[in-house]
Amino acid sequence: MLDSTFTSALAALVPPSALLTEAEDTRPYECDGLTLYRELPAAVVLPENEAQVIAILKLCHAARVPVVARGAGTSLSGGSLPVASGVVLSLAKFRRIVDIDPLARTAIVEPGVRNLAISEAVAPYGLFYAPDPSSQIACSIGGNVAENAGGVHCLKYGLTVHNVRKVRAVLITGDVVEFGADALDAPGYDLLALITGSEGLLAVITQITVKLLPKPALAQVALAAFDDIGKAGAAVGNVIAAGIIPGGLEMMDRDATRAVEQFVHAGYPLDAAAVLLIEADGTPVEVAAEMAEIIDVLTASGATQIRVSADEAQRLLYWSGRKAAFPAVGRISPDYYCIDGTIPRAALPGVLMQIETWSREYGLPCANVFHAGDGNLHPLILFDANKPGDRERTVEFGDRILELCINVGGTITGEHGVGVEKIRGMCAQFAPEALERFLGIKQAFDAHGLLNPGKAVPTLARCAEFGRMHVHHGALPHPELPRF
Amino acid sequence: MNSTLQTHARAAADDVTLVTERLVRDYGERAVTTHAIREQHSHGEGLADAGMPDIVVFPRTNEEVASIVRVCNAARIPVIAFGVGTSLEGHVAALYGGVCIDLSQMDRVLEVNDADLDCRVQAGVTREALNAELKGTGLFFPIDPGANATLGGMASTRASGTNAVRYGTMRENVLGLTVVTADGRIVHTGGRARKSSAGYDLTRLFVGSEGTLGIITEVQLRLYGLPEAISAAVCQFADLKGAVDTVIVAMQLGIPVARIELLDDVQMDACIRYSRLDEFDARPTLFFEFHGTEAGVREQAETIESIAAEHGGSRFQWATAQEERSRLWKARHNAYYAALALAPGTQAFATDACVPISRLTECVLETREDVESTGLIAPIVGHVGDGNFHLVVLFDPTQPEQRAKAEGLAARVSARAIRMGGTCTGEHGIGVHKLDALVAEHGDAVSLMQAIKRALDPNDILNPGKTVPASP
Repeated sequence: MLDSTFTSALAALVPPSALLTEAEDTRPYECDGLTLYRELPAAVVLPENEAQVIAILKLCHAARVPVVARGAGTSLSGGSLPVASGVVLSLAKFRRIVDIDPLARTAIVEPGVRNLAISEAVAPYGLFYAPDPSSQIACSIGGNVAENAGGVHCLKYGLTVHNVRKVRAVLITGDVVEFGADALDAPGYDLLALITGSEGLLAVITQITVKLLPKPALAQVALAAFDDIGKAGAAVGNVIAAGIIPGGLEMMDRDATRAVEQFVHAGYPLDAAAVLLIEADGTPVEVAAEMAEIIDVLTASGATQIRVSADEAQRLLYWSGRKAAFPAVGRISPDYYCIDGTIPRAALPGVLMQIETWSREYGLPCANVFHAGDGNLHPLILFDANKPGDRERTVEFGDRILELCINVGGTITGEHGVGVEKIRGMCAQFAPEALERFLGIKQAFDAHGLLNPGKAVPTLARCAEFGRMHVHHGALPHPELPRF
Repeated sequence: MNSTLQTHARAAADDVTLVTERLVRDYGERAVTTHAIREQHSHGEGLADAGMPDIVVFPRTNEEVASIVRVCNAARIPVIAFGVGTSLEGHVAALYGGVCIDLSQMDRVLEVNDADLDCRVQAGVTREALNAELKGTGLFFPIDPGANATLGGMASTRASGTNAVRYGTMRENVLGLTVVTADGRIVHTGGRARKSSAGYDLTRLFVGSEGTLGIITEVQLRLYGLPEAISAAVCQFADLKGAVDTVIVAMQLGIPVARIELLDDVQMDACIRYSRLDEFDARPTLFFEFHGTEAGVREQAETIESIAAEHGGSRFQWATAQEERSRLWKARHNAYYAALALAPGTQAFATDACVPISRLTECVLETREDVESTGLIAPIVGHVGDGNFHLVVLFDPTQPEQRAKAEGLAARVSARAIRMGGTCTGEHGIGVHKLDALVAEHGDAVSLMQAIKRALDPNDILNPGKTVPASP
């Protein structure tokens, strides 16, 4: 608990309504999108301007009180899980789109702005913001930067780190620093890349300059069915190896398409072992040329059926199933574990077949729905926590998948972040030499370890098993939101 | 120009002797102390700076690099990594003596993964050697800073080049690294997965750190499929403004041009003479290159040609055959030498301003007026699609007032870029020449950079005196 001197000092910094200390008020902040972990914070503070953020951080720094920054609370790795003895600093009131510069194709926004709100605001200029995590109608841009969020279109347009030009942030000491530049390149160390994906451990973001892209004149999606998951995996590699970088390249296996079809009726072929969704975007001439090439590659890769969206409504329908896959799976299984391992594309067929084999061995169905073009897997292991032994076997199954991902040269998390849930997996992926550099960087920014302690980077002493996400009874907060 | 440089005590002569003797013992003929070799390793292609290394060592493996660094770290002796010495900002000068690690013998392409469009190379592989190795795979590595630099050097300086507008810089194209840290350990960052949100982004931290945080010994790179069609075109303009405005409109429309290069009339004149481009006039000129499908390339080119026409541009002159394109781009890459040839006996250095594209016209035109007011010869050439352009400033080294004028001009170019929300170093890096400008641009972030430097290199042995000003 916080001592009363600290609490009254904190109360003096913000209006009374912006400080929550009663359990009934702080309860909504006890977890984020990863509900397995919960912790009630000692206080929640909701500043409305940068001066207040500076004052709050200075106070916490002086009193050595931990601070957890929070955006929309949609993290899937527990990135904004509170610390019991600490303060949650919510940026929900930082909701302004400060400036749009269509000529430079940039927008300056506050961290609490929703991802999709940026694209909506710049649409009149024919522009859009490319990274599109499936939770984009709810998640905030500040959280996107903190987690280096991805999405369906990241294959072609890059992750958050590729689409942010400048970040203004406050250090735990209260100093304001700008990372990056308005120009294409900033000199010196690439602190912008360092802050992107730092999961709130280095600074609190107060303003972001994002890059905008011209909206393609046309987008078309091809839906291809395969009678074998290995063939579908190989087709992904063949598309990329042909030098085509599609706007999106996603895969769903039979378990996933069946779950989704009952939910959204997108017209997916239910007899297929796997379905690929491949998008071409650009000018009509480019789209026509790219789509023709894509169809050739898919045919040569053994697709049993290929359909191309005839119009925008059909394109959105094909995508709707993909975007709703997680809630759909939540409907058919009491529980599921989601894994975020990412592998080199060429390893896809082997890894997918191995997952299928293990799924049979463990007697646990596993729905695969994921960013295939990036090699970013999202296996959903379906289980029933009330059935004795199910949970343990699921854990073991998940561990083996992540171990396999690392062994084929991949990573334990492609886009959801380490947060609290995968922190042990960090030790499997990184050698002590690399972990020491991480700790050195943290030390340079936050010597007392006050920002988001216990997340993202493990101490060398803390190395054990892999982590994973656990959703009980499909109990994601706001299950209606599309995710992943 | 480097007044912020703090004095870094030179290691005691006895310690240096012990280290050089040890290295000569361990590496035999691959540890060289002759004056000629040390002199050759004391500078890049920019202006010479004082500072020769005490010894140059040519390791062949990660472990050898690590063992050299361990010896130096124990004795607190500076270590400077060296590729092929094409740096323009004095990155390789041994300001405080020490050991130069020449990575040119680490020249193996370790793996090419065609299906994943990536490869892994040792740091001493040059970009041309990599592309030669890739012949027949249908793949290529596009980043092209002009010089045939090593990929380790390009990663260290976060190089970009003529086609960054389409393919990005080294920041976007390095997937992972093997780095030897200041304490002589080997760290692997990133990897073959296309994305990872595990841990801080060490890969991008080392990319562009100019050998001050670690020594890059291996680089995992992104590759691209060779485009089905490539064609190049030249468009000449009545005035500089029309040329720059054409670029801005093209960028706004998001046309995926592979390269756009601006040459002003002075630079064009130099290139016509130097590279015998007799079919062109000495007028502001844009060089374009288009990559894509046959239809896509045609469509991109038609769109740009009509934008250019609205801004006083000529009809496109096409170069579609490989030899013709090579001739054009060779002329562009030789722009620096062509400029030097305008006034034999002069020396030159290049500025490296980069501004938001919306300020580009203003910045280029102001800079041009500034050049004219000094009476110096300083042609403009640049990768304008990124907002990045260079002045090649010529001066007579025997006339101190000319050098002062040239340095004054360069300082104003940096200040102007920063005033317009840009940077003084779009691609050449900080090295020693631009430390002051870094402070002007980054303010408080500099102290964070210093803290990171202290965390990763507590004894300040890695390329001391470069990139970030020494800690107070």
